[in-house]
Amino acid sequence: MLHGIDYFIVIMYMLGIMMLGLYFARFVRSADDFFLSGRSLPFWVVGMSIVATDISAMDFVGVSGQSYRFGIAVGNFDWLGSIPAMILAAFIFVPYFWKAGLYTIPEYLGRRYNDGVRAVASLTWIIFFALDLGVLFWAMAVMFEPLMGWPPWFSITVTAIVVGLYTFFGGLTAVVMTDVVQMIIMFVGGAAVVVLGLYNAGGWGGLTDKIAAMGEAYQNHFKLIQPANAQTPFPWTGILFGLTLVMSNAYMIGNQAIVQRCLATKSVWHAKASMLCGAFFKMFIPVLVMFPGLIAVAMYPGMEDGDQAFPTLVKNLLPPGLRGLLFAGFLAGLMSTIDSILNSTATLWTKDVYERFLKKGASGRHYMIVGQLATVVLLIFGVITSPLSKQFPGIYVAIQTFLSFFQGPAFSVLLLGMFWPRATQWGGLVGLVGGIFTSALLYIFKDRIFTIEDPFLYVSWWSFVAGVLLNVIVSLATKPHPRGRLVGLVYGLADKVQAETAG
Amino acid sequence: MLNNLKYLLNFEWLNHVGMGTAKGVFLALFVVTGILVLLIPSAYIYDGVEEKRWYHNLKLWAWGDLAVIFAIYYIF
Repeated sequence: MLHGIDYFIVIMYMLGIMMLGLYFARFVRSADDFFLSGRSLPFWVVGMSIVATDISAMDFVGVSGQSYRFGIAVGNFDWLGSIPAMILAAFIFVPYFWKAGLYTIPEYLGRRYNDGVRAVASLTWIIFFALDLGVLFWAMAVMFEPLMGWPPWFSITVTAIVVGLYTFFGGLTAVVMTDVVQMIIMFVGGAAVVVLGLYNAGGWGGLTDKIAAMGEAYQNHFKLIQPANAQTPFPWTGILFGLTLVMSNAYMIGNQAIVQRCLATKSVWHAKASMLCGAFFKMFIPVLVMFPGLIAVAMYPGMEDGDQAFPTLVKNLLPPGLRGLLFAGFLAGLMSTIDSILNSTATLWTKDVYERFLKKGASGRHYMIVGQLATVVLLIFGVITSPLSKQFPGIYVAIQTFLSFFQGPAFSVLLLGMFWPRATQWGGLVGLVGGIFTSALLYIFKDRIFTIEDPFLYVSWWSFVAGVLLNVIVSLATKPHPRGRLVGLVYGLADKVQAETAG
Repeated sequence: MLNNLKYLLNFEWLNHVGMGTAKGVFLALFVVTGILVLLIPSAYIYDGVEEKRWYHNLKLWAWGDLAVIFAIYYIF
């Protein structure tokens, strides 16, 4: 349980972050301000915000739980599963999106393919984000209950009010600026657990010695690359094909919550730099979220539920004051993810659905109000659906499972759209829908088809392959787009067309 | 039929690949990414910069990120 000083720190954090977020409400006057901060943000703010958005309650609780069970292989998600993809995003996709003046990724798909692809992609993300909100709220409640003694409904309601207020009034600027503070608090709080944990475990040498002495079952705990026939969810084949080639790219390039920030930067150089800056900070994340699981293996072996590793460490290692700081860091991670999801989902709804299909040509202020109302509706939905997450055994894997359902097909249409001028509107639509259908089939029959535990990495790869094949086959059988229509939407096409015209 | 499908979908055809080779694949991926970054034209890298400075060279940023991750995967 927390002490008085911890409660003080947590409450001051919540009040402080709410006031900071509300301060930025004064700069929000139009849809452009609400959704893209008036395209005025510097790279370092966006880079830090990307990391804060990406790290959440799932990472503290779920990743430490996974590293408790499977070792450092789970770190692949933040290293291999981010850095190459962020470099690709920085140099290829983000500059194109920025120069096209986009608000959303489905908006690109709409221009590149057609409104059907845009609608399917947008609605898919809206549904995913909406479900994700519930999982996030529940992960937070799981952490709150043993430490603060608060019942889940109370902690969820309090957090929803704080996040909801500044996201509603301050839009993306409030979200991003609070993210910066939240990332710093998260890093400080997370580092406190790691430093104290390592000290108690006898330093790095003591930690590795203790785990190595635990026998055969722990021999792969310090190996990032695991055999192809490993019975964990992380064999190297899944890490290479599912994570590195598909999921990481889909997440860093196709995820609205990540890319929207880059579109809000003040120049195309800042847009590129923001991704590379984010990649730098991202490399520290496994140290904060994975090491607690390893430390718990050495100090508290034999726990049945890996997800209890992190709360157990916090409860037993941290003194009053630091416990409050860590808890504030934990909350920061959660709030920075929730606020980003709220704002991005509101953007998707307003720009891709409402403005495109329901009410065209309204004023910027009108769309801003629609975005604010969408924020409120989503928040309420997230709170109401949060208890459903209890039915999933592993919080983090549950999220990855949701993601892998859509990520492969979504990335296949983005990739072919950006690099293959021959991809047509019908190819894109069939590739996207067919890929999602493939994911669904693979999940339905996963116990009969796959041999590893929770094969989400394999599902994402094979659904990506299905999406690419369907897109190629249907594109070749349908009428191509005129090349002039694709300039600025396909990589390198502008230069080719220019050369052809000059020739 | 189902066994063949399982063999394909579960990457059982890669089971014989050793851990050293698998690690080499990932390290090679970082090296290839670094080489591709090297090939990007400078004008594209500095696009959007008003007054060019050495630290605006985003290739250096990318190589820095890749160097750290290469070291992590080399060690572990």
